Amino acid sequence: MLTKAQRANRKKLIIMAVLVLLAAAAYMAVDVNFSNARLFQYSMRIRAPKLIVMLITAFAIGGASLVFQSIINNTIVTPCLLGMNSLYTLIHTAVVFCVGSTSIVATNANAAFAVDLAIMGVTATIIYSYLFKKTNHNVLYVLLIGTVLTSFFSSIQSTMTRVMDPNEYDTLLSTLVASFSNINTEIIIFSLVVLAAVIFFLRKELAILDVLTLGKEQAINLGVDYDRCIRRLLLGVTLAIAVATAMVGPISFLGLIIANLSRQLLKTYRHTQLILGSALFGMIVLVGGQIIVEHVFTYSVPISVFITVGGGLYFLYLLLTKRRV
Amino acid sequence: MFVKELTKQYDGKTVVDSVTFEIPKRSVISLIGPNGAGKSTVLNILSRLIARDSGLVDFEGQDIARWRSKELAKRLAILTQSNNIQMKLTVQELVTFGRFPYSGNHVTQEDLEIIDRAITYMELEPFRDRFIDELSGGQRQRALIAMVIAQDTEYVLLDEPTNNLDIYHATNMMKIVRRLCDELGKTVILVLHEINYAAFYSDYICAFVDGKIAKFGTVKEVMNKQTLSQIYNVDFEILEIEGKPLSIYY
Amino acid sequence: MLTSLKAPHEKRGNSIKDHRISISLAICLLLLSIFSLFVGVIDLNLGALFGGNLEQLKILLVSRLPRLLAILCTGVGMSVAGLIMQQLCMNKFVSPTTGATISSAQFGILLALLFMPNSTLWGRALFAFAAAILGTWIFVWFIQRITFKDVVMVPLVGIMFGNVISGATNFLAYKFEMTQALSTWLVGHFSLVLRGRYELVYLVVPLVVIAFIFANHFNIVGMGKDFSKNLGVHYNFVLFMGLTIAAVITASVVVVVGSISYIGLIVPNVMAMFKGDKIRGTLMDTALFGALFVLVCDMLGRVVIAPYELPIELIVGILGSLLFIGLLFYRLRHGRKAIRLKGPTFGCGAAVPDLEGGERGC
Repeated sequence: MLTKAQRANRKKLIIMAVLVLLAAAAYMAVDVNFSNARLFQYSMRIRAPKLIVMLITAFAIGGASLVFQSIINNTIVTPCLLGMNSLYTLIHTAVVFCVGSTSIVATNANAAFAVDLAIMGVTATIIYSYLFKKTNHNVLYVLLIGTVLTSFFSSIQSTMTRVMDPNEYDTLLSTLVASFSNINTEIIIFSLVVLAAVIFFLRKELAILDVLTLGKEQAINLGVDYDRCIRRLLLGVTLAIAVATAMVGPISFLGLIIANLSRQLLKTYRHTQLILGSALFGMIVLVGGQIIVEHVFTYSVPISVFITVGGGLYFLYLLLTKRRV
Repeated sequence: MFVKELTKQYDGKTVVDSVTFEIPKRSVISLIGPNGAGKSTVLNILSRLIARDSGLVDFEGQDIARWRSKELAKRLAILTQSNNIQMKLTVQELVTFGRFPYSGNHVTQEDLEIIDRAITYMELEPFRDRFIDELSGGQRQRALIAMVIAQDTEYVLLDEPTNNLDIYHATNMMKIVRRLCDELGKTVILVLHEINYAAFYSDYICAFVDGKIAKFGTVKEVMNKQTLSQIYNVDFEILEIEGKPLSIYY
Repeated sequence: MLTSLKAPHEKRGNSIKDHRISISLAICLLLLSIFSLFVGVIDLNLGALFGGNLEQLKILLVSRLPRLLAILCTGVGMSVAGLIMQQLCMNKFVSPTTGATISSAQFGILLALLFMPNSTLWGRALFAFAAAILGTWIFVWFIQRITFKDVVMVPLVGIMFGNVISGATNFLAYKFEMTQALSTWLVGHFSLVLRGRYELVYLVVPLVVIAFIFANHFNIVGMGKDFSKNLGVHYNFVLFMGLTIAAVITASVVVVVGSISYIGLIVPNVMAMFKGDKIRGTLMDTALFGALFVLVCDMLGRVVIAPYELPIELIVGILGSLLFIGLLFYRLRHGRKAIRLKGPTFGCGAAVPDLEGGERGC
């Protein structure tokens, strides 16, 4: 049985999906030479993987941010604001630092990704559960410590890069950390597998998300094994963020923007719809943004810069207008 | 359900100090006492929201910690004070959550009937599709009770249900509590600050002082000058209205 | 006037301890400073220096000594700037890093690079001053307008505000292909400090002296508008003068060595834990400790991957953020009492809650 609001939301989601398709088609087609078969094939080969990466990233970040917000019951916090993506780049750098840049773990993108994922899953869950426990879920402290952690992780990471190669650290840095101008397309299949596995193993917990938003006490009252559920979901969030960061590098504010837009647009508590909305918003922002970056700014300004400025302003707006933070 | 030598400490301070009592079925039991006497902590331990340090909480022959959370949720419901639901939820949706222990996210026809009955019972039909955060305090409290009714448990635990309500709504809330017991046959355990509500609407009163039980007994046994002034450290007079003892303190 | 009132009993109680801290800090600083002169790629040795080896003397005068002086000025300047901002806003978490001052200064430098590509150090400095002052003013004006539930909201807003400004800086840098040029000012380091290119940083010295003279005024203004009016202190004037001083100090450091975060945040807080909050009493020690902290970080940076060196910003970024997180946990655990104001309680009801770490943002 669907209520009126749900039917309206379904319509909104369909419209968004159509928009995503349009954006994707536009991304593939703009400025493509259709008459020359070789040029056409060439641009498809370049663009198709990029497009897929953006769609996966949007889904991973959108879903992870939304789930994370529901876990800690606050809508201005996202995993990336707490430095989870800097942690991933740090882990990746540390792995290369330890095994050396010529070993198989460092040169094979998929092997490196597997090792990073394992380490990330463990460390991030420990660090962030400790953080929540220690601050007693005081959101402002969690946020502040999270932002400081971001600079802590990236300082260490930067230091490691310089120690590894004091002369060419900029070059090394760009090979170590993906970015929108340097998208890591080698791990597409692996990433899809990881995301599918996360969704499969967490299907029960994901179904409980609606109840979790009633708060810890209500959730326990309704028979949810709260601590275990939160732990598992947090692990899933960590892995999804790792996937996104491995492919396009850290983009701090994307999750915040799309998760909140989705909540504002759909005004529901149902997470299937919210997550879908957040992912679709992410796809529109990324693909649309990338079209603008490539064709209006001719690649000069990376999309992450726009997301940082827009996201920062949006965050300030949320922080200052939310009465109950 | 009975409790034996329950103890709980926070930062080295004993909040609940070897508390032992048994809860009579199909009755309303009020936990009263000064601030910080440990009544809310006891209630939270009874409902597994807080872990105890030592002692035993026996629920239908089995230690409460060994119950599967989901099974327990079909037999015991708790409503705490802190219900800051941030989601945009309608009354109907909130009450539907009461069926979660039974059917998860897939609401059955039977569930729908139970939900409808709960909403009707709490006289919430006009607000069925209103959002929770648009309701008044009294209405919101009633919606939460409706959810607890939909949860269809034998035991209902309420932590200061009259808090933040005006006299009209608070009195209504107490009448609802009474009806939960009399009409629906539930055992209701609640923490109250207002002694006279406890005296008028409950069957038993359990008075706490400094983490210990000062007195547990029927309303008549607890509501006398001596016991009350012992508990609260102020002077009391007891009057009788409608055959029930009421207190005046000054 | 405040000092004269409480001077008698406070002096008696604390004088020995006060001096002990200051003196030991000063001795440490002196010894380490001398030591630091002899850390570097080319070995200097005392015998050769005194023997009149010109080559060695030149290294000392052209590179080592300027570097030491720049380090000392940076340490003193950034920590004093932080202390002033914290006093004026009565919030322990405001600093050049968390108050958008550093990112504004960077923005100013970028504008200078854009509009006056051939500008001198002083030209860029003027842009940086203007931007830093403006950025800090806007931030403080902004947070004063809002009542915050929690003190940590203020640094959070400040960091985000700074993020947005850096984002704008980045945008312009990418747009006009200046990222390479800008990167020098993004990560602070002392390796380019040589004679003739760093003297701007001396500006810190007179500014710190002014700050010392007006220390009591800053203290009073920190107590709030009514409080300062009651004592006949011109609230807005002192507030904006103090912020301007802090901003100019920060900007001159940023122009010469690049951004160095956390010092203005960590150093005053650590000092306040030992000595309490009266600015007059702590200013000196904060300055000494700041210089010491930067000096130690710089030496670490020079030693870790010698003969290369790590930018100081990275060392400070690691140590500083760890200390800051420690500070936050400490505050969480000890609540209000953790960072408190020593000295007599003031008879001003409205101001008292703020002294205890502050309900109000600013």
